[in-house]
Amino acid sequence: MRTMVIQIRSGTMMNMDTNIAVKLARAALDKGYGVRMFGYGEGVTLIKKGQDPKRFPNVGNETKELVEKGLEVVVCETCCKARGIARGEEIEGTKIGSLTNDLSRFVAEGDRMVTLAR
Amino acid sequence: MTDSLLILVTKPPYGFEEAFSGLRAGLGALASGLVPTVNILMVGEGTLNAVAAQRPEAVRMPSNVEAVNDMLDFEAKVYVVREDLLRLVGDVPLLEGVETIDWERARQVIEGHGMVTTF
Repeated sequence: MRTMVIQIRSGTMMNMDTNIAVKLARAALDKGYGVRMFGYGEGVTLIKKGQDPKRFPNVGNETKELVEKGLEVVVCETCCKARGIARGEEIEGTKIGSLTNDLSRFVAEGDRMVTLAR
Repeated sequence: MTDSLLILVTKPPYGFEEAFSGLRAGLGALASGLVPTVNILMVGEGTLNAVAAQRPEAVRMPSNVEAVNDMLDFEAKVYVVREDLLRLVGDVPLLEGVETIDWERARQVIEGHGMVTTF
């Protein structure tokens, strides 16, 4: 199975990047591709549990739904620590991991990378 | 499966975290041993990361000089697009070990990697 890697570096409420990321992931999963997403910098906010935007799409809920469909989501631990996001605060099925172990594995095993950042 | 990664650095060294993050992402990939080839291409304002006279201590920020040198220590190629650098700061001394190239060569470098990500 060919696999797409999405690197997301924008925060969930900064702009539409995370929204685009989950839509892209959903479309690729629906077509039978593997999809892995790595959150780096502000992008780590994607996996924060309890997101509750009033007037915007809830990418946290969408991420949880996509994880159940096979999306693998890992975010950078150092970036989480810098932003006060602790283990246990992540959406179920997502992981706080590392650049060296997880992003590198995604790159090595992936076929294409899409980077979403401003 | 991808065996080569190019980190395209487009942001200046200080004022944004992207360049430092990109260099550290490259170092992580090399240190993992999972990605055999990881190189850096600095374009636009990203070329300022290669300027030798950086003084990160002046803004009390992590050193991008150190981050570039770490990549070179791991035998990564660090390319800098000459015309972008000249347009911004002229012909200034660069960090030892970086390689200046033109845009034609930069396109070849991009095409020569299995995966490209932008910082």
